[in-house]
Amino acid sequence: MANTLRLYLTCIRNTLEAAMCLQQNFPCQEVERHNKPEVELKTSPELLLNPVLICRNEAEKCLIETSINSLRISLKVKQADELENILTKKFLRFLSMRAEAFQVLRRKPVQGYDISFLITNYHCEEMQKQKLIDFIVQFMEDIDKEISELKMSVNTRGRLVATEFLKQFI
Amino acid sequence: MAAVAVHQFAQCITCHAWSPDQSMVAFCPNNNEVHIYKLLEDKWEKVHVLQKHDQIVTGIDWSGRSNRIVTVSHDRNSYVWNQEGAEWVPTLVILRLNRAALCVQWSPRENKFAVGSGAKTVCICYYEQENNWWVSKLIRKKHDSSVTSVAWHPNNILLATTSTDGKCRVFSTFIKGVDTRESKTSSSSDSKFGEQIVQLDLSFSWAFGVKWSPSGNTLAYVGHNSMIYFVDDVGPSPLAQNVAFRNLPLRDVGPICFRENGH
Repeated sequence: MANTLRLYLTCIRNTLEAAMCLQQNFPCQEVERHNKPEVELKTSPELLLNPVLICRNEAEKCLIETSINSLRISLKVKQADELENILTKKFLRFLSMRAEAFQVLRRKPVQGYDISFLITNYHCEEMQKQKLIDFIVQFMEDIDKEISELKMSVNTRGRLVATEFLKQFI
Repeated sequence: MAAVAVHQFAQCITCHAWSPDQSMVAFCPNNNEVHIYKLLEDKWEKVHVLQKHDQIVTGIDWSGRSNRIVTVSHDRNSYVWNQEGAEWVPTLVILRLNRAALCVQWSPRENKFAVGSGAKTVCICYYEQENNWWVSKLIRKKHDSSVTSVAWHPNNILLATTSTDGKCRVFSTFIKGVDTRESKTSSSSDSKFGEQIVQLDLSFSWAFGVKWSPSGNTLAYVGHNSMIYFVDDVGPSPLAQNVAFRNLPLRDVGPICFRENGH
């Protein structure tokens, strides 16, 4: 199990290294004096590259879409049962609401995925490319750990509460 | 390949140009100014700041013989700077563009310069003596996407352009009154302004930098798919050779990678 995770993350890291060559301060072709992330607009098809989908298994995948000045990474996290489903949704919603603090996070995930990142050329100018890639890969590793921990703590708490409640019937 | 000297001028540099004697360098530190630094006694000092543009400056070229700097910016304007005494004086050039300008280069004889823009057009500007004014002529309707780079052929008439639609095109920019027809060059004798001589469709991805060899026989351009395309005998039947690199995308090509008698 652990080595598929390593392979998955290495594959994503290599793809991101190639995709994150965005030092283009590219002005918008449609509107004058504007500068927009082309991957979000999709108005000029020649400025977009082919999206890459990396699947670890049916439940976990990663979609990387690139354009001339921006890059969008969407992740689908493994959700084994209903409880993990709810926990993932709440946890990632908590993070997305505070997207300004992360700078590269997108406020709403792309349809069909759990969380999305939007990296523009401005981010690449201010921050180092390698560090950005490290951040994203680290994020993916930590998400799984966080969800498992949350699930364990919910189960533990549930067990404690139930024990206390049912003591009165003994 | 090792660096000869490393200096940090700014956090991010958009574009740069060397002075003809290589003692000064002009660059844009990712804002709307142009900084000129001079090498004085082993240290680089900021000597001038050219401030006229409203948005980021995307192209700078310093002419070799006439000591003029041309700058273009995202605000659709271009200025030609002449050095008068200790100051650089700007002259506005009306480019008639409706989108940002992306790159600029002086022609070999320095009587014209070419500007590539996000409006899918290329603008050729020349100086009109009677009106004391820089006039622009546009090459329209031939590009499908933004023009990222321009390069002049040594004969001062042919211009190669690369664009984000992946194609490299060669145009004739003959202007009556500015260029003289030489009887020796029969290839460009029947071409008028804006006529496309050849369109090279070798790259599947965006094309970024383009340069001619010093003799003008060979053309090289690079693509985002990390390949350099060398084209010989640019004309009705060009011969092309590709070189693929294993690493990341290429952004620009310099004029030193050519040898005259084959590769």
